[in-house]
Amino acid sequence: MLGLLVIVIVVVAVAVAVWQMTPAPSAEAMNIKMGIVAGMKTVEGQDIERAAKLAIDEINNAGGIWVDEWHTKVNITFVLVDTVDDAAGSTAGPVTRAITDDQVDILIGGATTGGTLNGQIPAITNRVPFIIVGASLNLVTRRGNLPANNSLYINDTEGMSYMFHYCTTISDYSETVTHFLADSVKPKIDAENSFASSRKLRLAVIHRDDGYGRGVRDVTQSIITEDSLPIEVVGTAAYAASATTYQSQLISIKEAKPDVVYIAGFTADTAEIIKEGINDVGLKSLYIAVEICEDPQFYTLLGETGANQILESKVATQWQGSTWYLPKVGTYVENYKSKWSGKVPGMIGVDTYDAIYIYKNAVERAGTLNKTNVRTTLETTDMPQSLLIMENEKITFSTGTNYHEITPKTFIEQLIWDSASGALKPFVVYPDNMPGIDSFKQRDFVLPEDYEPGSP
Amino acid sequence: MITTSGLIETLLWGIANGCIYILLATGLNIIFGVMKLVNFAHGQLLMVGAFVAYEVTKIAGLNPYISILVAMASVALIGVALEMFAFRRIRGTDKLNEIFISLGLIYMFENVAALLWEQNYNIRIPSPLAGLSLSLGEVAIGYDRILAMFVVIVILIGLVLLTKKTKIGLAMKATSQKSDTAMLMGINIGKVYIFTFALGAALAGAAGALYGILFPFNPVIGALPTIKAFAIIILGGLGSIPGAVIGGLLYGIAENTAVYLLGGIWQDAIAFALLIGVLVIRPTGLFGEKGE
Repeated sequence: MLGLLVIVIVVVAVAVAVWQMTPAPSAEAMNIKMGIVAGMKTVEGQDIERAAKLAIDEINNAGGIWVDEWHTKVNITFVLVDTVDDAAGSTAGPVTRAITDDQVDILIGGATTGGTLNGQIPAITNRVPFIIVGASLNLVTRRGNLPANNSLYINDTEGMSYMFHYCTTISDYSETVTHFLADSVKPKIDAENSFASSRKLRLAVIHRDDGYGRGVRDVTQSIITEDSLPIEVVGTAAYAASATTYQSQLISIKEAKPDVVYIAGFTADTAEIIKEGINDVGLKSLYIAVEICEDPQFYTLLGETGANQILESKVATQWQGSTWYLPKVGTYVENYKSKWSGKVPGMIGVDTYDAIYIYKNAVERAGTLNKTNVRTTLETTDMPQSLLIMENEKITFSTGTNYHEITPKTFIEQLIWDSASGALKPFVVYPDNMPGIDSFKQRDFVLPEDYEPGSP
Repeated sequence: MITTSGLIETLLWGIANGCIYILLATGLNIIFGVMKLVNFAHGQLLMVGAFVAYEVTKIAGLNPYISILVAMASVALIGVALEMFAFRRIRGTDKLNEIFISLGLIYMFENVAALLWEQNYNIRIPSPLAGLSLSLGEVAIGYDRILAMFVVIVILIGLVLLTKKTKIGLAMKATSQKSDTAMLMGINIGKVYIFTFALGAALAGAAGALYGILFPFNPVIGALPTIKAFAIIILGGLGSIPGAVIGGLLYGIAENTAVYLLGGIWQDAIAFALLIGVLVIRPTGLFGEKGE
């Protein structure tokens, strides 16, 4: 009995000694350097920064992130990786500096496809985990699958495994848009204009002339074909990213006599296209903006011209119901507004906020900041959905063809002009329900007041 | 699908856009013609003009077309300050000094504007005519664009009268031809330079106000119009006001029809191809003279 007691004491003593001898860095070195990749000249970049600071402050105020190998909670240090305008040529330099000079443990952010495709290269080369929260062209995690002669191909499977995409892709939202057109818009147009049900809905696509815009155009056509939807693409028009006016494109779209105009643009250009289309060119159609426009700036720029126009979205930060569709979204919006002088959050900050908690979860499971270990635990993420609605209500990263992507659900809002407040308000019109949310739809879709359909 | 009505509409819109380029290029041309000064920050004066007109319209509730006058006066004053405190100091020194001062001014203007108008990205000056169009069968053009063309014509007529019929206009012409001789003839070159720069800046201010009525603008909008204005004065001929007018119209029409006929990506390519084509055939530009 005494012998057993001695053995137990010795074992415990050795265990304590080993635990104590685990090398811990100095107090000042014990922090997590989080590189937030944001183009601060853009509204999207500013939203990323604000959301990141909100999440980091929340985590730090709660003591930080538990790092098991150091037996303590560690605070996050915010490192701004300012990519200025997030254009293709602006990103690789700041990201490289963040990796080599600031020695960041993780990169989170990246709004545009062009910027991210360049900015991710230093992260791939240096094996730094990068949770990309924008760049909806589904290439940022799939570059290894491209043909070797494609200029975007990356022959570095291990490096690519450090890339994670916490964002909806062009396929995700184009699927929602096309099915909304087939399920809700076409029947309404047919009924109000006595069109035969065999008539296909006439769709025009106006897009930025870059990978993202062309991607939306092409994937839309593919979904229509694959899903045999009663939609016909009757016109497409591209515009340069530097364009400030879109009259000629809109005139050519108008000539195609579409029922609906689908816009693959960013906040400012999309608002301007709708305004020029309706006010200047007289193309009184139904316009569909995509989720990047889920930003207060879009609502403001569009103004009353946007009445009854459509916005595809993945998070309703300007939800109009009496109770929030997801309580967590309501809390996020209130905390964001409280921290940032009443500013309403945009869409891309939501992804950023969630991504920071995904990283926290991965570090706590890895028990270390070692980037390879964290990469592995990121890959096995299995968390309840947070601010974005997920297909199975869980955040997971796929490892198949849709490499390191999530399974988000998107929806359609109609913008209603509220003359009392002089502002546009979004209401969900599609779909009826979402995973875990009953009665999601808030009102029926209606055509704009002075809507003119395309040719019969 | 290309149709006659679509093409006519595109041409009309191209002319309207070209009118704004005409104002900007004419201002740049006057400054170059008289002072032999190349101001790369000219487009930033357009941007300031747009914001001044926006603020005046918003705060004083003025009609945006009246606010053009305020924008012209305000930007002219800025022009006076620039001439007196920046460009005059380096007059007669290496041309590189001029270039670097004007390049530095670009960033100063943009950064100050970003500080002042942080929240006003991609706004337009509210016009009571917004959304109203004149329809001629299948062809429609907004009243704002028609009015913009009218305003530009009035300003150009005023400019011609100023340069041909007034003492200061004749002094500008004399200075542009031979400044030393003009000085010997008793012309106060310093005053002519101040007036010229103020006049060029005022035209940029007017262009800015019209730009702000027709297009969204922000603190960094000046760069592209500057490049286009340079292309136009090279196309039309350095120092030539008729050249700037014809060049501006050709440029506006070329970029709009390129988009309509070939697609958005060709907008700038076709316009600059036109410039290269003209220079190959006539190196001095359409109305330029040898030696400019």
